Amino acid sequence: MSRLELANLNKRFGEQVAVSDFNLTVEDGELVSFLGPSGCGKTTTLRMTAGFESPDTGAIIVDGSDVTDLAPNRRGMGMVFQGYALFPNMSAAENVEFGLAVRNRPVAERRARVSELLELFGLSHVGKSYPHQMSGGQQQRVALARAVAIEPGVLLLDEPLSAVDAKVREELRTEIRRMQVQLHITTILVTHDQSEALSISDRVVVMNRGAIEEVGTPTQIYAEPRSAFTAGFIGAMNEIPVRVVSGREGLVERDGRRVAAVGAAGLSDGDLALLLVRPESLEPIGANLAALNGDLTMSGQVEVQTFLGATTRLLVRESRAGTDDPMAMPASRRLAVDVPSSSANQWPAGSQLQVRIPVGSSRVIADRSAASRPF
Amino acid sequence: MSNPSIGGEATEEAIAILPGVHARSKDARRTGRSRRTPVWSIVVLLVAAVYFLLPLYATAVFGFSTGKHFTLQPLWDGLGDSGFQASLQLSLFYSVLTTIIALAVVAPTAYVVELRFPGLRSTIEFVSILPFVIPPIILVVGLSSMYGINSPVNLIASSWAPVLLIGGYFILTLPFVFRAIDNALRAVDVRTLSEASASLGAGPARTFLRVIVPSISLGLVSGALLAFTTAMGEFTLAALLGYPTFPVYLLNINGYLPRAGEALVLVSFFITWAGVIALAAVARRAPGTQVVRGGPM
Amino acid sequence: MRSQVTGTIAGTPTSARSRGGRAAFVLLPFAILVIAFLLVPTVSLIWGSVHDTKTGTLTLNNYSYLSHPLDLVPFRNSLELSLASTILGSLVGLLIAQAIVSSRRPLIQEIATTFSSVAANFAGVPLAFAFIATLGASGLLTRTLLGSGIDLYSGGFKLYSVLGLTVVYAYWEIPLMVLVMLPPLQAMQPSWREAAEILGASRWQYLRAVAIPVLMTPFISSMLLLYANAFGAYATAYALTTGFVSLVPIQISNLINGDVSYDPGLADALAIGLAVIMALCIGGRALLERRSTRWLSR
Repeated sequence: MSRLELANLNKRFGEQVAVSDFNLTVEDGELVSFLGPSGCGKTTTLRMTAGFESPDTGAIIVDGSDVTDLAPNRRGMGMVFQGYALFPNMSAAENVEFGLAVRNRPVAERRARVSELLELFGLSHVGKSYPHQMSGGQQQRVALARAVAIEPGVLLLDEPLSAVDAKVREELRTEIRRMQVQLHITTILVTHDQSEALSISDRVVVMNRGAIEEVGTPTQIYAEPRSAFTAGFIGAMNEIPVRVVSGREGLVERDGRRVAAVGAAGLSDGDLALLLVRPESLEPIGANLAALNGDLTMSGQVEVQTFLGATTRLLVRESRAGTDDPMAMPASRRLAVDVPSSSANQWPAGSQLQVRIPVGSSRVIADRSAASRPF
Repeated sequence: MSNPSIGGEATEEAIAILPGVHARSKDARRTGRSRRTPVWSIVVLLVAAVYFLLPLYATAVFGFSTGKHFTLQPLWDGLGDSGFQASLQLSLFYSVLTTIIALAVVAPTAYVVELRFPGLRSTIEFVSILPFVIPPIILVVGLSSMYGINSPVNLIASSWAPVLLIGGYFILTLPFVFRAIDNALRAVDVRTLSEASASLGAGPARTFLRVIVPSISLGLVSGALLAFTTAMGEFTLAALLGYPTFPVYLLNINGYLPRAGEALVLVSFFITWAGVIALAAVARRAPGTQVVRGGPM
Repeated sequence: MRSQVTGTIAGTPTSARSRGGRAAFVLLPFAILVIAFLLVPTVSLIWGSVHDTKTGTLTLNNYSYLSHPLDLVPFRNSLELSLASTILGSLVGLLIAQAIVSSRRPLIQEIATTFSSVAANFAGVPLAFAFIATLGASGLLTRTLLGSGIDLYSGGFKLYSVLGLTVVYAYWEIPLMVLVMLPPLQAMQPSWREAAEILGASRWQYLRAVAIPVLMTPFISSMLLLYANAFGAYATAYALTTGFVSLVPIQISNLINGDVSYDPGLADALAIGLAVIMALCIGGRALLERRSTRWLSR
């Protein structure tokens, strides 16, 4: 039996649909992220799970029992809020103790558990401090400790890191994951930060306009996005015009060369489609080198280099971009090619090159320009 | 890509902390957090509205009738009363003078302190809080003991009499005027403006008049409004020092023309209302503007 | 970056020091006014309070009331009145302020705030008359209640009494409370309530553990403001009762203007006593403000 089941959740506020047909089961000990742009319904869904909103239809089931009609204080869940929501009149220790005090646990037991948790979160030295005396990172850790103190069946995290400094964020999210695994707590994390979702989740639920776009592991979501939205939302993604040769066999062609591509099945032969390729999968080769093994290539000129740290992104303008050729990239779009920064000077701005588009599990989607992210 | 905001995406909204906001029955399907105005809130506000409008209504009933039916006659009686005109003129005289003097003295002072004597700032601030702590009744005793009839410097009996009341009103309005102007000065980078002006060749007076004053105009307006309305409505100083201003007159007229008195009360209420609306309009453009005296009369 | 300007383009160059001198000159009118109308009267007050009015000798007699303040009717009345109107004003004001915050409609909030500002500014002679028209012997409400069989006045109610004054004072105490308590109430984060709830707390547990402690400081601070206001008020009390009800400010005015009870020395001493009470209230308020901003600023 799954730990948490969200079944057929629907919610609208007046005329606006906030959440539609949300279905998800979460297994014991899993960390599932709800990822999407603001307004996609992820927070509303979380709040319905917690009980701060009531779904119009649908049910929330924890360990087999329907909790949809229970008030938040009876659901046995823990929650961490975006702005920490620490009680300002209590010290860190008193905040952490709060849930236990409400449950009338014996004082000795409470104190023991509080010190245990403070220790676990590295907060022993600020136990007596008040929220206004602590840093953002410390406050968020106190919020976490407070939420897990009552040993909740499900832990809900509402954008817990968005109010924290960027530097601390990475540290903190790894800590959250470590704690979550160690304590084996089923967790839902709401975030708009992809790297956060991808780095620590067991599964990611990509949401858009109130509905689930896709559910999958971080790798699946990143490398094999099934929808145009996900492809565009997660990471950078190139879209290269191709033509479908055979939907049944999964073949597409471009400039006389054919390659296999996943996802062509739904498309008709002869249709124009877009091949989705991650920048790091593309490889620059010399402008005059002959293409090998029937690879797809594209010729163009490096317009600008963007230094991203370990990698450098080359923005390449296709030679025939903007022409009437249906295989040409649109005039305003560039091809993004990621190369290791150490070799970036081989391809300075203004240099001509070819870009090799690898054979393999590239995906195609129908040519819908609205879904793409322009470069 | 941008997704249209779904509008209902949860934002933090004020949830009542006192009982009664959302009735959460444990069994029936709840409506969850309501985004509409809770019932108890409306009830309380309606009752409050009635409570506060009632005296005004009673005043209108009393002041705009002959006991039988509605008439504006008492109002005309009041307006036509010679005492009314004289007292109103006197009040206007003092209020206008107080406002002008307050602005003319406090603005340059605050400016100079901000610019050249930052060390004096806490002293000046303390001095301007002081009258706030000293209600008119205390001030009038002090003034009376020093400048009153039986005292060393008898201003009242002299031709300098107006100075006494204006001086007293200056002190009374000082906290608001100073705070309004000071806030405005601090919102603007006075130092840089002054240096820029000086480097262009303007003397300090011109800098002040042409550069500083326009940039703190909202503060000046709100200070002026507060000073003016305070002086117009001030009773204690005027009554105990013997100046027949409008509030003093209002008290007297109740003796011989009670209905007219009530009618005039209503008029003064609407004037107060106009003053507050004006201040609120200023406050909208310059947040943090003080709108209420907040001190005893 | 300090500019090196030493004077106007046309005209003699002036040194920084003489400009400082000239600047000090600007402070002169302010200084004169403050000295003449604030400091000198204060000194005169203190001076007068330690001198016997009739004989002119140095004495502390005027302060004898300090040893048994509650024996003095004016003090008892003022204390009662201020306490009653403060309690009434702060509780009702808190309720109304919370109602405004809970309404969550900006329009209601703006209207209510404007109205509160007007009502809070309405004190003094006009307010007294408005209430005479309402609750006076032949006031509108009095007569209406009479028509429904409730005789206020035969039941012992008088507008010209501490009870009546309490009701009148409430008219501006309540709005003042509303205006002062709105910011702290709006600074209460809704996520505190939700956090408490999901941790298992009932509404009452949340109030007791978080809301009340956090709001206690601004609440008490506001009460101090209301108390000071009520204690020092003269105009409303006098206009309503023409000195009938004995209060400290009324007593003071009688002592400087009355024919029979003329005693400026005692008036001075009472005024200083009153000033001390005001200072304590405002001082206490300043101390509390500092604490409440620590907890209630985001």
